[in-house]
Amino acid sequence: MKTTQWFLLLACVALGVVWIFIAQNWIFLNLFAGLLVGPGLGMDLNNYLQTGSSPAFTVLWAGCISALLIWIGITWTATPRSSSQTRLMQPMWWVATIVLCVFGWLCQGWFTVFTWKLRGLSPVDGSGINYYPVPPVGWLLLAGFVLLDVMILFWLPTLLASPRNYRLVVPGAVTLLGGR
Amino acid sequence: MKHIFAIGVGGTGAKCIEAVTHLHACGLFADESGNLARLGIFLVEPDQQSALLNRAQTAVGRYVAMRRLIGTGSDDFARGELRDYGQWSPLSSASGAMSLDQVFPKAVLRTQSAGLADLFDCLFPPDEQSADLEVGFRGRPPIGSAVMSRVSLEKEAQVGRWQQMLNDIQTAAGSGEPPVIHLFGSVFGGTGASGVPSLGQLLKNWLKRQGLNSVQVQASLMLPYFDFDGMGDQDTGVHAESRNFQLNTDAALQYLRTSGKACFDRVYLIGSDIKARYGFSIGGVSQSNAAHLVELLGALALRHPGSVSTGYAHVLSRADAQTICWEDIPDNEIVGAGLARGARFAVAWRNNFSREIGDAQKVSMPTFLSGAPWARRFFSTRSKNSTGTNSRGARPPIRDKEGLSIQNAIDQYCDTLLQWLNQISSNLGGSNFHQELFTPSLLTFSGYYINSLNRVVQGKARPNRSDSADTVERIKVRMDCLSSNAISHRGMAGLADCLWKLVL
Repeated sequence: MKTTQWFLLLACVALGVVWIFIAQNWIFLNLFAGLLVGPGLGMDLNNYLQTGSSPAFTVLWAGCISALLIWIGITWTATPRSSSQTRLMQPMWWVATIVLCVFGWLCQGWFTVFTWKLRGLSPVDGSGINYYPVPPVGWLLLAGFVLLDVMILFWLPTLLASPRNYRLVVPGAVTLLGGR
Repeated sequence: MKHIFAIGVGGTGAKCIEAVTHLHACGLFADESGNLARLGIFLVEPDQQSALLNRAQTAVGRYVAMRRLIGTGSDDFARGELRDYGQWSPLSSASGAMSLDQVFPKAVLRTQSAGLADLFDCLFPPDEQSADLEVGFRGRPPIGSAVMSRVSLEKEAQVGRWQQMLNDIQTAAGSGEPPVIHLFGSVFGGTGASGVPSLGQLLKNWLKRQGLNSVQVQASLMLPYFDFDGMGDQDTGVHAESRNFQLNTDAALQYLRTSGKACFDRVYLIGSDIKARYGFSIGGVSQSNAAHLVELLGALALRHPGSVSTGYAHVLSRADAQTICWEDIPDNEIVGAGLARGARFAVAWRNNFSREIGDAQKVSMPTFLSGAPWARRFFSTRSKNSTGTNSRGARPPIRDKEGLSIQNAIDQYCDTLLQWLNQISSNLGGSNFHQELFTPSLLTFSGYYINSLNRVVQGKARPNRSDSADTVERIKVRMDCLSSNAISHRGMAGLADCLWKLVL
């Protein structure tokens, strides 16, 4: 890998950390609070972000980093004989992306609903319901942010830092980087 | 600039010319400043159907065609200028005569000079007089010498095949470094044994008459290096017999000792004690003897600087009786590097890059580029030419017809080069004799992508690189990482040129 690619990889990882642990929560609190907490539900958004949303996105972050390391490891050690052999990684990339998105949605479901149901606890005191009552629009928002997170945590670093002959395999790379 | 005029006489001479062509393609004929020589090729062969002649013409033709298509599109690849002066038969001046008794019409001889006719009968038995010379001089030097004695270089210089070459020799003699005329042929066969000394003498006399005393005439004379498997029978007629090779050689060397200096300024003698085995043939299309290392060594005589040579006859030997390695090759550092570059280029191009170009025709350019980032350095990412103010900047589309023609020409030349390299490294004769130059099994057009280059060349000419780093894939990565200034040319020729530079 070129030196600039190492730099871009580290920058993407740093960006991902800042995004997941700082920026995203700020956006939820300040821009989309009304979408995540329905009227009359009595849900404390801060509490939800700390015990519901953030753990889910943290697990998604770990999954994306793992997938990124696996991708870098495979493309770093592979010795493709031809461009068609190189292109065989493209469907692998899509599989990884789809798995990450589904994984992200499952994480949201787990930390918002399933973990409370399994433990028989209620995240909202006095509500009597054993899950976070996120409104439907809020679910759509969370699902959309999962997609956005996969793009930032997986697509972007693989776009900028895939090594050697794999550097244009990632979707969009030819359009964005092909002239370079 | 150095001018070399290489004349191949007979079948062995033609094989040496093939070797000369490939060495020239590998950039191994250069002057002291490193400028590539201008090479002229001329073939002398009465057997117009000779498979060996055809092979040499194919090698020359393919190189010339490739070079013409590449034009100025490369800096290092295929830069050696080669002029093909064609092919000439000594029988062409004999007005259609195809046998000795037609070249010297016996009926006329009997009428004009009975004594001469009797001498003719004494020197040549009836079967030699009537032998069809269309397939060559049948391994009989006396027949060839008699035919060659009818050749007039003065007449040929005015009309015919020799005209252009002799004119160019005169022109080259007047400009800078005097040219070299180098003949190739065997001393044990028919055409070469008779033709090489005869032509050498004719050329020396012609040069003297023209006042071109600075032009050197030298020759690579092949001593016996092969035997025939099988032999002719009574129905075969006059034919070459391997049992006569030593006798012919002895006679030729005796002639060289007494009269050699009238023919050549210096000679290079090379043969082999380990005889290759070839199928018996009287000539024609069936005489398809595989290339031999000895022909390569004979061709390398062109690299020997005549200015520092003090002797007349030069020979070569090897260090080990059962092995030949790079240390046995003259100037092995430079020659080894040149041949290694040629071999690795041919393998990498033919078995990888050319296949990639073929695959690129089947998919869209963005799809191809996604697996081949190196390609965007040479080809447009769009269907039309990319912007550029001159040929050095503009990148043509990968489906450009002109580019595909260049690809085809390079493919064809690489096939010829690979075949030759494969044969010289596998045609070794004795089962206990082996070579440490190339790996023959890799010097072939394979049906699949080849990635590893580390075993193509053996011994000290092999690049000092780990196996995992010596791959076509690494070359592609290096291409992708080159700065724009490092890539002088675009398109197919530029790709070949870049590969030529990076492959070693």
